[in-house]
Amino acid sequence: MSLAADLLRVFLNGLQTGAIYILVAIGLSIILGTLRFVNFAHGALYLIGAYAGLLITLEVNLSNGLLREWGFETIGLGWGFLPALIIVPLFVFVIGLAMERFVARPFYDRPDTDQILVTFGLAIIAQELFRVLFGGQSINFARPGWASGPVSLPIIGNFPKWRLYVIIITGILVAIVWLLVEYTDFGLIVRAGTRDPEMVELLGIKLTRPYIVMFGIGAALAGVAGVVGAPLENVNPNIGTGVLVPAFLVVVIGGVGSIRGAVVGGVLLGMVFSVLVGAPLPSIDILGTQITWSAWAQVGIYALAAVVLLVRPEGLFGEEVTG
Amino acid sequence: MSDEVQNPDANDGGDAPEGTAGYVERYRRRGTTANNELLVAVTAVVAVSIFPWLFADAPVISDVLGGYRGLATLMLIWAIFAIGFDLLLGYTGLLSFGHAAFWGGAAYAAGIFSAEVSSEPLLIVLAGTTFAVLFAWVLGFLSLRRGGIYFSILTLAFAQMLFYMASSPLAFLTNGENGFTSVEVGPLLGVIHLDELLVYPLDILYGEMLYVFVATFAVLALLTAYRVLNSPYGTVFRAIRENEQRAEFVGLNVWRYKLMSFVLSGAFAGVAGSLFTIHGQYVPLESLFWTESGEIVIMTVLGGVGSLFGPVLGVVVYLYVENVVSGFETIGPFWHLILGVVFVVVVAVFPRGIWGIIEDGYARVAGGETAADDGGER
Repeated sequence: MSLAADLLRVFLNGLQTGAIYILVAIGLSIILGTLRFVNFAHGALYLIGAYAGLLITLEVNLSNGLLREWGFETIGLGWGFLPALIIVPLFVFVIGLAMERFVARPFYDRPDTDQILVTFGLAIIAQELFRVLFGGQSINFARPGWASGPVSLPIIGNFPKWRLYVIIITGILVAIVWLLVEYTDFGLIVRAGTRDPEMVELLGIKLTRPYIVMFGIGAALAGVAGVVGAPLENVNPNIGTGVLVPAFLVVVIGGVGSIRGAVVGGVLLGMVFSVLVGAPLPSIDILGTQITWSAWAQVGIYALAAVVLLVRPEGLFGEEVTG
Repeated sequence: MSDEVQNPDANDGGDAPEGTAGYVERYRRRGTTANNELLVAVTAVVAVSIFPWLFADAPVISDVLGGYRGLATLMLIWAIFAIGFDLLLGYTGLLSFGHAAFWGGAAYAAGIFSAEVSSEPLLIVLAGTTFAVLFAWVLGFLSLRRGGIYFSILTLAFAQMLFYMASSPLAFLTNGENGFTSVEVGPLLGVIHLDELLVYPLDILYGEMLYVFVATFAVLALLTAYRVLNSPYGTVFRAIRENEQRAEFVGLNVWRYKLMSFVLSGAFAGVAGSLFTIHGQYVPLESLFWTESGEIVIMTVLGGVGSLFGPVLGVVVYLYVENVVSGFETIGPFWHLILGVVFVVVVAVFPRGIWGIIEDGYARVAGGETAADDGGER
């Protein structure tokens, strides 16, 4: 295999890893930027998305799911995954609305630490609920039939089809959110609210509704991330917290409240990870022990965050140092 | 300046019209600090002395509780950790999600030191604590570059970095996912074996020498914390918690005090982590994982932040539920879920935790003096 093919493959893998981080981080970043609310339960939304997607995919299935019990045999819905991709974001959107109203809103005026603590508690509750309901073991989330197997790309050759879809789906969603925030009145109000909420309120615009919708959108994105990310790994109650920490790093690297920052931060992290895991680099020798570069993959993303932080504490696209 | 911040809660305006009464009260309290210290010491010594017997061996009570001695020792170790954590969260107002790095890091340092250099328990504790202090310095230096929530996120991130380093690249040192198994614990000062029963009648109270060893550190930790918090240094911590900007404006180097608070807290975690290694003679990789940081957060907040005994109470409740209640057939499987719900309720409704509830209840019974008058100092 040629070097170009190797590099391209590493690049695509990095893009795919980054895509999941981006989906989770955008919501985290916007909610932090506009509402000044720290959501440690954001990973739980990813978790809910993953389990909900898994259940819908299993139930909307002609070979053994609910549809078959109801007598559907010839409807031709061989791909339960698509309904999941549509229903789950709506479901998690509603959860996001409820979270804003009943959790975030009473805590806006309380110290940051209280916000972190209460959302951290909620994350534990969500995680434990799933453990009680579905058991602690890992469940395999099969990729949908139309998206499993490899796809043949130029230069690279075979590449897992699902990873390509993850990149494409993320690209579309990020574009939609970007357009929404940059080119609609809703986006204008939200952005203005980030800068100077008092002035916006003085202009006679109530910020309550845009904020709650923004919270919902952020939650829905995390939910989608769960649906598209789960087929890449096994679903278990711990995956929510597993994705939360990198997502926070993306926010720190990119700068709070910036969609562009989240995208760049996500891609950067994904690339560092993917290069360390997959690049054809020779292993190094420390004290007589062979250490491969892939062993450093997890450490690498934290090191990157540390470097960015030392050079630019406000993040790459952050505007000011707050807090 | 120091008068200004001596008792921040009292100066918030509520009892300002009382004027001189406040000053008299304040001076009276200052005069009794030394007595209070003796009181705290005696209370602590008595408490740790009767605790294991009451918990594990006393007739009726221990049958109801279902406790055992190993758990009593573990509770004291975590109590040291929690007291240190509360110095940072409750008194300086900084929420760290990275304390697993100091607890687990010290545990590994202690374990590796015991296997490679010396198996003397005191030196093991010294080695683990030294590592924790140095690492806290570095991590605090990096994380304190951003305040508030970013501090929490960054401590979390850098602690995770240490976890992943121990799990893979440094596996030749840490034994990777299997945890560090070759811990060697020798006799204390070359003569006293920690796993030996004490002579009669001391064995009724304390059981093994290990408990006395751990309990000594626990009492020392409590007294150190009390001493620091009632010194001008501790007053600055509280000033930063109440209003960082104002503390900055009166000329205090806030950043340095925050870093020192962080390092001090890391030292407590280091002592606890080293004792954990001596207690279990094994260092699991999970001791570095961020859920461990989460546990100490839950324990401290549950028991009551900003009080000396609250976190200890939180530790006892948490470990009791984790180790004993989880064995009950009825609610055992749900113990973590129940604790999660209780935790959220405490954060939302009782920010001063179980200890705060007790204090308020006591104040209501005693009448008059509310707990807030103490400025949360006890």
